[in-house]
Amino acid sequence: MTQLTSAPEDVRRAEVVDPPRRRVALSGGVDRVFRATLRGAGLTVLALMGTVGLFLFVRGLDAFSVAGLDFFTTESWEPDSHRFGIAAVLVGTLLIASVALVVAFPLALGVALYISEYAPRRVRRVLTSMVDLMAAVPSVVYGLFGSTLLQWQGSDIPRWLSIQFGWIPFLDVPQADPDNPLSPTGVYATSTFWAGLVVGFMIMPFICSVMRESFTQAPQGEREGAYALGSTRWGVIRSVVLPFGRSGMIGGTMLGLGRALGETIAVAMIISPIFVIQPHILGAGGSSVSALIAQRWGSASPFGLGALMAAGLALFLMTLVVNFAASAVIARSRSGQGSDA
Amino acid sequence: MTPQVRARGRMVGLLAVLTVLTAVVTGFAPAASAQSYVPISGSGSTWSYNAIDQWRKNVQQFGIRISFAGTGSTDGRNQFKSGQVDFAVSEIPYNLVDGGVRDLPPENGNFAYMPIVAGGTSLMYNLNIGGKRVTTLRLSGDVVTKIFTRVITMWNDPAIAADNPSLKLPARQIIPVVRGDGSGSTAQFTAWMAAQHGGIWDDFCRKVNRATPCGFTSSYPSMQGIIAQEKSIGVANYVRQGQSDGAITYVEYSYAKNAGFPVAKLLNAKGYYVSPTAQAVAVALLKAKINPDLTQDLNQVYTDADPRTYPMSSYSYMILPTAPTAKFNEQKGRTLSDFAYYFLCEGQQQADRLGFSPLPINLVQAGLQQVARIPGSTKKSTDIAKCNNPTFSTDGTNTLAKTAPQPPDCDRKGGPVVCAGPGGTSGTGSTAGTNGAAKPGAATPGAAGPAAAGDPAAAGPAAAGETAEGGEGTTAEGSTDGVVNSASAVPVSVDLPANDGTLLIVVASVLLLALVVGPPLVAKIIRAKGSQA
Repeated sequence: MTQLTSAPEDVRRAEVVDPPRRRVALSGGVDRVFRATLRGAGLTVLALMGTVGLFLFVRGLDAFSVAGLDFFTTESWEPDSHRFGIAAVLVGTLLIASVALVVAFPLALGVALYISEYAPRRVRRVLTSMVDLMAAVPSVVYGLFGSTLLQWQGSDIPRWLSIQFGWIPFLDVPQADPDNPLSPTGVYATSTFWAGLVVGFMIMPFICSVMRESFTQAPQGEREGAYALGSTRWGVIRSVVLPFGRSGMIGGTMLGLGRALGETIAVAMIISPIFVIQPHILGAGGSSVSALIAQRWGSASPFGLGALMAAGLALFLMTLVVNFAASAVIARSRSGQGSDA
Repeated sequence: MTPQVRARGRMVGLLAVLTVLTAVVTGFAPAASAQSYVPISGSGSTWSYNAIDQWRKNVQQFGIRISFAGTGSTDGRNQFKSGQVDFAVSEIPYNLVDGGVRDLPPENGNFAYMPIVAGGTSLMYNLNIGGKRVTTLRLSGDVVTKIFTRVITMWNDPAIAADNPSLKLPARQIIPVVRGDGSGSTAQFTAWMAAQHGGIWDDFCRKVNRATPCGFTSSYPSMQGIIAQEKSIGVANYVRQGQSDGAITYVEYSYAKNAGFPVAKLLNAKGYYVSPTAQAVAVALLKAKINPDLTQDLNQVYTDADPRTYPMSSYSYMILPTAPTAKFNEQKGRTLSDFAYYFLCEGQQQADRLGFSPLPINLVQAGLQQVARIPGSTKKSTDIAKCNNPTFSTDGTNTLAKTAPQPPDCDRKGGPVVCAGPGGTSGTGSTAGTNGAAKPGAATPGAAGPAAAGDPAAAGPAAAGETAEGGEGTTAEGSTDGVVNSASAVPVSVDLPANDGTLLIVVASVLLLALVVGPPLVAKIIRAKGSQA
């Protein structure tokens, strides 16, 4: 998505600098066929996106017209009683995505820097294929891992976090009472935190690959220059690699964010859906739009299905906005811009 | 050249392994007598999934290939309606109104209901007192309803204590676990709540923004404090976790049985607490009114005055096509009919062992008639007497229900707290699938202790010692303790993590991995060093 939208950007810039020459000879048949094919491919993508959006809109219109603007403010999902809205699920989606990014970004940055700058060649190869392997693991496997192992065996992590940092409002777990040995420990499972963590594991390889690609493309000359000026390796990374890789970092992160917003099955397996805004990310219960759709569509009434379509449309639009914002950010900070100074 | 050669060698090795594997797999596959059967698929109920899955495996030897996806009754009905599956399994029929929406049947109307198995929707729970798992919990209907509507939120609530005079309940939060997807278990459970405790249930519906009177529903309303999980196996898995102390869920009895967890005894209309055993379910369903289309009306089951009744009993149904469609041809009908003939007859023998209850003779006969309506049905004439169904008898009565034992007096509400003799509370409690066998030797001192002391106040804690019988080893010690410091025994959770072997599995898999990956890696490193030198 990001790459696609940034491509026309390049063309436009090129036009400003160097307008294309007028064609003298007509292009040959093969050329024309090739161009038509490519144009067809490009248009197909547009048509696909348009169809998906239109389909969601048409099917969700019924639900929209019943709920009106309350659709965006209601914290409930009872479509058959005509009380439903995406306030809670949308917030839940954003919370899960933020947790995922908080986990994935530093991890991906570290791995990408290590692979591209520090690792010996053999380790580099192994690590690269490991990261690619992580991307290839199906999300249902991550879901199983998180829902049956991680959230139960690792319940000490959110407990520690909530005890030590409970004064930060969103890390508090009101249902838990650490001083009471009889207080349930299950309140730390099925939470936004675990869903976000597992989603973070899933998006890490994507972010990492994009970052690694852009780090390895930092020009050798400038690296050598920095070394010549007495930089340490960390100095080179700070003054050359990171500025050059900035667009890659942002692009990769946005790519990951887009995936995190839409991640479905792993979230659906871990989270226990509740339809109120749950700001306590370590406490049980949470929700996300995609998990809501996955969990409810099989058993939804026709109207309920329409409501799910409307929720899907909201997610679709949000993802579009995120991706466009990402491409705008990337376009503004071209690679290497920061190192010119 | 060498690396290429090596790579080729590796490829050859891999291929060889693959070939061997394929040979092994196909070699052990059942002999293909598939010229007469075609694979068919179904989806739906997770309530009866364990039974269907077992039957499905059993008929593989005849070459009948059935794939059944336990995706929930609602999903099953929807998929059958849209023609995605050949049959569906559901607890409830079409045409019921759930939350103001009628679940319309397939438009062509070419379908029939066939009962496949009976069972009890049980209340599986995970509760520990003093580090010992409670296995003798008893609950009355309104307490169950209040637990699942968050009116009662603590285990030491006086209402629960009134049901369990023998337990010293801890001040632990109750974690109600419900189904997050559309489910027949939820439908059966909420139908029972709506019919029996409509007031409490409607209050809850109002609280969660549902229209009232809300009646039964397939999708349990979500609420803060209620944990929702996917599928029956999901709720059972949640409850069985060591961290889920205090959790309770509604699920078919077979799931609790498979997990080795106890289920609560439910108070019936006669005032007895009864477990969802095959016999208790059979007794209860004597009162089920069967409609002409074979669907069930359970209202009289809920209020059945037989002391042996488990009130939350019901039948599960298969929804069959009765006319060929583009996707369902006569060959598929042939497969489905032979599968149905199998589980209506021989399959019922296994129902009890699986945690269900076998169908009575009238429903088996009615079911066989439905099978004959499947297009392409083999129309076998089944000799019912040879089915060995434990409910059958020569005089037409339900043998299983007839021979069901009367509940002991100590399971009567307000009855004696301590069951007399070794076959008392612990004996009946162990039907709930506890790990440790009831130890008669241990039960006697616990029960005899307070009686000898003649002090009524000592009865409670002594019985708390009795609950320890679910565990192993320290039983005798536990009951002695109960007798000695009877008055001051306060339950404190000293939950030691159960040694469930997870670590062992992890270590084993790491070792396996090392064994597989290690040698080639080491060899490679050595070789690389050798070539450098």
